[in-house]
Amino acid sequence: MIFLFFLLVALAPPQGRPLSGTALEQRTQEVSSLLRCPVCQGMSVADSPSTVALDMKHQVRDMLARGYTQEQILAYFVQSYGQFVLLKPENRLIWILPILILIAGAIVVVTTARKLSPPAG
Amino acid sequence: MNRTVLIVGSAITIALVAVLFLGLGKDPTAINSPLVGKPAPPFALTSLGGQRFDIRQLRGKPVIVNFWATWCVPCYQEHPVLVENARTIGGDVQFLGVVFNDSEDKINAFLRERGSAYPTLLDQQGKTAIEYGVGGVPETFFINRRGVIVAKFVGPMTTEILQSNLSKALQ
Repeated sequence: MIFLFFLLVALAPPQGRPLSGTALEQRTQEVSSLLRCPVCQGMSVADSPSTVALDMKHQVRDMLARGYTQEQILAYFVQSYGQFVLLKPENRLIWILPILILIAGAIVVVTTARKLSPPAG
Repeated sequence: MNRTVLIVGSAITIALVAVLFLGLGKDPTAINSPLVGKPAPPFALTSLGGQRFDIRQLRGKPVIVNFWATWCVPCYQEHPVLVENARTIGGDVQFLGVVFNDSEDKINAFLRERGSAYPTLLDQQGKTAIEYGVGGVPETFFINRRGVIVAKFVGPMTTEILQSNLSKALQ
């Protein structure tokens, strides 16, 4: 279902306005910085000098020049590489879950400590 | 309350240990391709000989698409395996080599020296490689008769690995 959504987004006609000149270069850098270089360790496509990253950056520039939006471009890459290619995963649960586990752990520790401590007086 | 805490704590600990244990045998750099089980992204590329190959026209026959380059050291190791298998089973299975980020002179020299048994296609600026989610080379995709990717292998293949993955495409 998620794949189908990305497929529909990625194959849709460009939903933005075509960019050129300085604006194109600036947006290429911005969108490339959201993509993970698949052959590097935690480096973005914008920062990596690898040939794969340069090809991906070229593809980002090409799509921006044709009027594709950031959302469409990210969906295009997710379609091929999966969520891994996003430096900031879209699934918010990834960010929230550790905090929820930490809170649950703290509640368990406090509750247990209260039960184990001898009553005052 | 203590019993509840013990049960919940044990369940969480067992679940965490199980997840970590399952991950022990996995390659941390291996990434599952979202394309496996999906229709192969269409492409039409020109071969070294100038012939146009459209993968959509190959429906009805299993296809092995191997992404490689002459600057890729493991590709030297893998090439004889592909050539040998293509010569043996190339009548039933379409082998395609897709080269990206390389020069025609180097590719021709490589193939002259090491042999060739199937079309070598040129992927200008790696667009097809990107659409297949290729990170490094070699990477090989196995496509069944209906045009669906059934397996992907990252790294140099042996005949056993090739045959094992190909069997999924032949089903």
